[in-house]
Amino acid sequence: MTDTLTRRRSTEEIARSRPAWQRRLTSDRAARLTFYVVAFLFWIALAGLFERIPGPPSVVDSLVEEFRRGEVFGNFADTFYRFGIGVALSVGVGILVGVVIGLSPMARAFLESPVLVGLSIPAIMWAFLTVMWFGFGHTSPIVTTFLTAVPFVILNVAQGVQGVSRDLRDMSSSYGVPLGRRVRELVLPAVAGYVVAGLRFAVIMGWNGVLLAEWFGGSGGAGYRARFWYDANQFAGFAAWVVLFVGVIIILDQLLLERLSRRMFRWRDATH
Amino acid sequence: MARPVIEAPPTTPAGTWLEGEELARRAAARTRRKRLALLVAGWAAMLGIWQVAAYYLPFGTLPNPLEVSVEMWEIVASGALVSDFLASVLKTFAGFGVAVLIGAPVGYLMGRYGYWRAFFLDGVTVAGTIPALTYAVLSLIIFGLSNLGPVLAVALVSTPYVALNVAEGIRGVDQNLVKMSQAFGRSPQQIRREVFIPTIVPYLFAAVRMSFAVAWKVEALTEVFGGTNGVGFQIRTRYQLFDITGVIAWMALFIVFMLLIERLLLRKLEQRVLAWRPEERAAR
Repeated sequence: MTDTLTRRRSTEEIARSRPAWQRRLTSDRAARLTFYVVAFLFWIALAGLFERIPGPPSVVDSLVEEFRRGEVFGNFADTFYRFGIGVALSVGVGILVGVVIGLSPMARAFLESPVLVGLSIPAIMWAFLTVMWFGFGHTSPIVTTFLTAVPFVILNVAQGVQGVSRDLRDMSSSYGVPLGRRVRELVLPAVAGYVVAGLRFAVIMGWNGVLLAEWFGGSGGAGYRARFWYDANQFAGFAAWVVLFVGVIIILDQLLLERLSRRMFRWRDATH
Repeated sequence: MARPVIEAPPTTPAGTWLEGEELARRAAARTRRKRLALLVAGWAAMLGIWQVAAYYLPFGTLPNPLEVSVEMWEIVASGALVSDFLASVLKTFAGFGVAVLIGAPVGYLMGRYGYWRAFFLDGVTVAGTIPALTYAVLSLIIFGLSNLGPVLAVALVSTPYVALNVAEGIRGVDQNLVKMSQAFGRSPQQIRREVFIPTIVPYLFAAVRMSFAVAWKVEALTEVFGGTNGVGFQIRTRYQLFDITGVIAWMALFIVFMLLIERLLLRKLEQRVLAWRPEERAAR
């Protein structure tokens, strides 16, 4: 009677029964490595297939060349200055407006359409308009960064505030807890993770905004330099800049914000 | 000696109950009216700010709302709208279809299996962080001046959203349900169909709505850089003529159109598909 039932093994036992090479091959690190190899081969294949796509060697060449000319650091300093101010502004304003929207349905009704319109206006529009309004200089990329990023911060923060336990909100309002304390002790801890999510959006959207504004603005910066090579029909030079500004945003997003976000959402993810 | 506590109620409740309902209904109507008024106020404030800005900025750099709406009307009346819009919308949806076709399976794999998660995670996060500008220009470099450029750009930009959202949805599946299904000897197919798919549908919709907002912008951007037709192409033509009224008018029309698609089409579809969920019903 009992031997018709096969004994169920625990997952640990199953894992231990597999040979070591198989375990190593399916480990996370091996998977990532495999991905990079596949992606690299894919790039080489694309470069071979389309002659307009520069292959790895020519991109590395232009990258080295660009560093040797000393174009990299000066342009990035400009870009970072504009980007930093724009993002800081958008986070400050975004948190303020987002909390207001999340707390009051009436404020939401009033501000919903402006935020929605702000979300829908492409960065390219702001780049065009700000270049015409403010001319070539720091203002146009800063304003473009701010305007493209701020709706995303507002949306995320508002979502976080609304996600605050309704029971706790109702209770604190019926017990007459003052607004300041309600924000500080109930809203902020629950919302911190969403603020970081909003910040990530701001960084990613703002980076695109600042590059676009520089692309059309013509007053130096990473976007300007990328355009220089694009206009010169030197796609390897353009690709070198793509590598640079994609590298920068990934370092910023993954090394800084991803860790921050994981920290902020720790209370939530720990339950899974 | 009567018992007043028990005898008192009978007459009152019926009346107060009806009255209470009436009061509640009136309060709800008042809230709705107030909300509508605020919605209108929001639009009015936006147009007001625009009007003031147009007044104070140097002449010719920002046309006022009236000039733009006249221009918009001319674009609509001239009939140029339909062909260019149709071109842009079709390209967006084509790219979008490609994104869902690739992104949903990738997301499913990522959410379900540790190996594929590790495999795709770096690629998807990197692809999600790359600025749209890069996609637009790269698509142009690859396809030159053709309709495939915008389609590729849209697909590239929205695939990571779809994949990440679907993966998140799968990971958010109630593990107790999965364990229970396994304990009761359900087959993997059944678990997939009855537990996983219903859970990821809301996430898929969130992904679709979220990336739709990004997708059509990238589509327009690619057309601005090198389209042969579509809204972005019109915007670039106007920009090159320094016709800022034309630029804003085209953009405004595009925004209106895309918001209509998003709000009416996608949201209605979402409500319909998700109607079974108690959360959705409670929210309405």
